Amino acid sequence: MNRVWALAVITYKEGIRNRSIFGVLAFALFVLGLNITVAGFFMREVGKVTVDMNLSALTFSGLLLVFFVALQLMAKDIDKKTIQLVFSKPVSRGQYIAGKYVGILLFVFVSLLVLVVFSSATVSLLLNLYPNYFAGFSWPMFFLAVTFILVQMAVLSAILILFSTLTTSSFASLIFTICVYLVGVTIEDVVFYVVSGFRTEAISPVVQEVLNVVAYVVPNFSMWDFKLEAAHGLLIAPARIGLGLGYAAIYITILLILSCLFFQRREFH
Amino acid sequence: MSLRKILGLLLVATIASGLHVFLSDRVWEQRGEVRRNIETGYVFPSRFTRILALGHKGLYADYLFLNTITFFGGKQMYQEKLTDEDWDYLAAGLEAVTDLDPYFLDPYVLAEGIMTWENMRFEDANHLLEKGTKYRTWDWRMPYYLGFNYFYFLKDYAKGSEYLMEASRRPGSPSFLPKLAARLSYYGDQAKTGVLFLTGVLAQTADENLRESLLKRKTALEGAASLEEGMERFKKEQGRSPRNIEELLEKGYIDKLPEEPYGGKWIILQSGRVFSTSKFADPLKKKKTEKKNPGGKP
Repeated sequence: MNRVWALAVITYKEGIRNRSIFGVLAFALFVLGLNITVAGFFMREVGKVTVDMNLSALTFSGLLLVFFVALQLMAKDIDKKTIQLVFSKPVSRGQYIAGKYVGILLFVFVSLLVLVVFSSATVSLLLNLYPNYFAGFSWPMFFLAVTFILVQMAVLSAILILFSTLTTSSFASLIFTICVYLVGVTIEDVVFYVVSGFRTEAISPVVQEVLNVVAYVVPNFSMWDFKLEAAHGLLIAPARIGLGLGYAAIYITILLILSCLFFQRREFH
Repeated sequence: MSLRKILGLLLVATIASGLHVFLSDRVWEQRGEVRRNIETGYVFPSRFTRILALGHKGLYADYLFLNTITFFGGKQMYQEKLTDEDWDYLAAGLEAVTDLDPYFLDPYVLAEGIMTWENMRFEDANHLLEKGTKYRTWDWRMPYYLGFNYFYFLKDYAKGSEYLMEASRRPGSPSFLPKLAARLSYYGDQAKTGVLFLTGVLAQTADENLRESLLKRKTALEGAASLEEGMERFKKEQGRSPRNIEELLEKGYIDKLPEEPYGGKWIILQSGRVFSTSKFADPLKKKKTEKKNPGGKP
């Protein structure tokens, strides 16, 4: 356990020292600034627009952190062969994967929490500027949605780790992770579209079967998406929160176990 | 680098900056022209936009809505008449926005504010408002607007009254709603009912432009209501309907003709209702006038 934690701390420190996170910070600040500017363009629902933009900014920033910084954290050891140094110590490959994952999570969470501070400041500012247009807004809902952005990033990091253990090219793992993410955020609408009677032409049973399989293999990111509810301060059934957390935990566990298995078989030269 | 070279470069930079300012003015001018003459856009059907939004449906809804109101605002700024295609675009845009985020209030308010008053698109507006009524279950304004449309535009007083009752059951609804609903089912077609309704809508409207047009309409309806009152008394005392508005004035049933803010002339319709030759609508400016001064930056 100590070794896992030590690896995690090293990974976290390496991530925090990465200069790219200033770019992500600048991006997030830009979107928040944009939010302050355009909020007044809307007639009534300034609060909704503010929450939309803040949560989307946090999601995009999280994606950038995972896709670029976390990817480097995974790839660097292998590319620069420092991984052999790590394995010369009494560290198993399973421990290595666990340590890396915890480190990446720590890094992504801490960076996002910094952004959440800025985001909350923006929301409070607009809340004070347009107090009459925040009717449906509630802080608990806002933070719940933020928490689930963290959950999404945790799942995505696990996907990234899996692909990093599978491929030798970090660019390939980036592309695969992005693909899985895109499928994950759209799969729900696609599946429901296919089920609904909207279509003009019948969809072949093969496509339907494939979709069914994909819907099991790829996580449904909509489950962890509470942006719309937060924007309007709608109530969420506790069961949805519980199911969402459970779904994420199980999925991450499976991915990490698979990663360990693949990593065991990998050879480093 | 020698001083001469630096000075030379600075000179070139200065000239280039001047040129840039000149060109960029032209660019903005031309873009303004292009945007005004642009064909109406195509709105992706919402079953695709939901997928295209990549998990950011709220944000995409905001963006689409901003696009839609910019389009409408641009047309209004130059007082251009919207074509049927433009209205189709607007309706499709609002439909897509509310499919992405069915709880979003602004598109419903916009639909009620412009689609009905300016283009008689009651079905489109009502379709949107029905969606709003379904999703914004805490919001009394959705069924209220619906009730208003059924009453004022579609003359379906029973349905109007039904939606008003629905509105009055929702939290925070004004206390006059049940009375208004009752009044509607008895004397649906009187101008005075319209005045009461508009007062309610006005209390909910913050947008200055919309308020102005609503206030104007309220003035017009108040005028019509006072004339209708005079007509009622005329009928009671004379046993017949007045032949025209002037007869009311001559026989002293009204002191003076009320103001008609749209500039039309008061008339009595065959149905016995008071209306105006302006049909309570602003005259539109001709398209030719604004072509002479192509606009600057938007």
